[in-house]
Amino acid sequence: MRAKLSTVNGTVMARPGRPPAVTVAGLRKSYGAVAAVRGVSFTVAHGEIFALLGPNGAGKTTALEILEGFRARDAGQADVLGFDPGDRATGRALRERIGLVLQDIAVEPYLTVRETIARNAGYYPAPRPVGEVISLVGLTGQARQKVRSLSGGQKRRLDLALGLVGHPDLLFLDEPTTGFDPSARREAWQLISGLRAAGTTILLTTHYMDEAQALADRLAVISDGRIVAEGTPATIGGRDHAMARIRFTLPPGYEPGDLPLAAEPGEGGTVTVPAAEPTRALHQLTGWALGHGTVLAGLTVDQPSLEDIYLRLTDSSAGQEERSIR
Amino acid sequence: MTAVIHRRPRRDLALVWHQVRYEQLSFWRNPQSAFFTFVFPVVIISIFGALFHGAGHSSYFYGLSALQYYVPTIAAVSVLGACYSQLAIVLATRRQDGILKRIRATPLPAWAYFLGLLGHCIVVSAIDVVLIVAVGRLFGVPLPTHWAAIMVALVLGAACFCALGVAVASLIRNAEAAPAVVQLVLFPLVFISGTYLPIHSAVLNQVTGVLPVRPLNQALLGPFAEHTGFAWHDLAVLLAWGVIGGLVAIRRFRWNPRAE
Repeated sequence: MRAKLSTVNGTVMARPGRPPAVTVAGLRKSYGAVAAVRGVSFTVAHGEIFALLGPNGAGKTTALEILEGFRARDAGQADVLGFDPGDRATGRALRERIGLVLQDIAVEPYLTVRETIARNAGYYPAPRPVGEVISLVGLTGQARQKVRSLSGGQKRRLDLALGLVGHPDLLFLDEPTTGFDPSARREAWQLISGLRAAGTTILLTTHYMDEAQALADRLAVISDGRIVAEGTPATIGGRDHAMARIRFTLPPGYEPGDLPLAAEPGEGGTVTVPAAEPTRALHQLTGWALGHGTVLAGLTVDQPSLEDIYLRLTDSSAGQEERSIR
Repeated sequence: MTAVIHRRPRRDLALVWHQVRYEQLSFWRNPQSAFFTFVFPVVIISIFGALFHGAGHSSYFYGLSALQYYVPTIAAVSVLGACYSQLAIVLATRRQDGILKRIRATPLPAWAYFLGLLGHCIVVSAIDVVLIVAVGRLFGVPLPTHWAAIMVALVLGAACFCALGVAVASLIRNAEAAPAVVQLVLFPLVFISGTYLPIHSAVLNQVTGVLPVRPLNQALLGPFAEHTGFAWHDLAVLLAWGVIGGLVAIRRFRWNPRAE
């Protein structure tokens, strides 16, 4: 059963009621006695970036590899662009429409950048032009260089080029920026956002909070083989309803108990005041400070970061049983 | 109604040719593979040519001159190197490096990948054999007459040893061990099959006659030096080994660097 599609200038357009690009329900996979994925369900809509966020060994890569057709699932349903990724008979048709960037860099050393991309372009029915892919990943200056002379970051960009060259409708990115320096990461993020703007659906895994925050339309936090939270970067784990935190250094000569609101002492003489209504709480605190002729040094107000939420989510689920990290 | 995005299926033959071209490019740029699998047999036949140049026909070489004997056996060993050794090592290395997994991630069908490798190995073998025959000619070895029998023996031999190379790559666990395992099997077998020294033990020849190396030697010796045609019995033995290698490869070949 293929999704109903229509094409305009080669771009796939969504129709109302179009089924998701990826649907996963009750996915399970064990390696011997170790359960790597235990009942994972999520959907990815066409045209969005969906992030699977989780610590190492949480089951992200296993889940992704089942959807990519590398691993057989033990139980559950998986639908990728209307195909069952476990069905070998339709494997070629599915692979013509997806692009993969795996975690490990693997490129043959003796071809040039251009040759490597041109070779893979020959595997697809409607590839992107080789020169376009080279400039997309920023390897124009290295196009004639042998792969073995590239730096690690350049090899990863070449790997990304191989994921893009087939002009995929759906792109899988397994930890795409691990090992990148900060500016290379920014560039990779720009590239990934640009692909979404061009209509590519992207399913990525990451253990970087800022990456999920910067890229994902929606994300799921996976821990110990289960999805522990799902939502948008702004709302996941009740982040939008969580209390704001007012932080400052306690003025000299005062105790936390002297403040008009309950405060938790922190490091280096700081205190944190959780507040459901930060406007009112700030007014009370600054009023108290002015009334006592003192100041609230280093005053900040923030919401819990995605990282705070993530650590809370992954800690609580890890606490249920001992997790061994590979 | 299912509307399907129109995507032209690339013609399969063109896809195999595409693979052969890039395998060739990779091979000739790799100094190690180009030297050991390609130059080595040419060096050996040149040394033998210098050593045995002018030596007459002898019963030790079954009534042939030494070089008449060595041109086909060294041609056979060049096919072994270009097919069996190369594939076993290259595939074990590519698997360990994750390159095979990456290939598996593309729509390239497995059969096209392997046919591309086979075509590549046949090209390397053919060039090697032509060079070996040319060196032999320089040292006065007459050119063979039955080219059809030579072609059949070379292609079947290449296919058989490619299949065995893939089979061994399927059984090897890590790439570091690959060259050692490959040589461990090959070197004694090449030696007792009469490649470097004629073997006059009837018992040994009967044993090696049903193993893969001697039949290729014999299938080339006939049309090269003895003006006989197709060595059907030897070709049948090669075919059988090719089928065995193919079955092991189909059942045991892994694309993934790590066993599941």
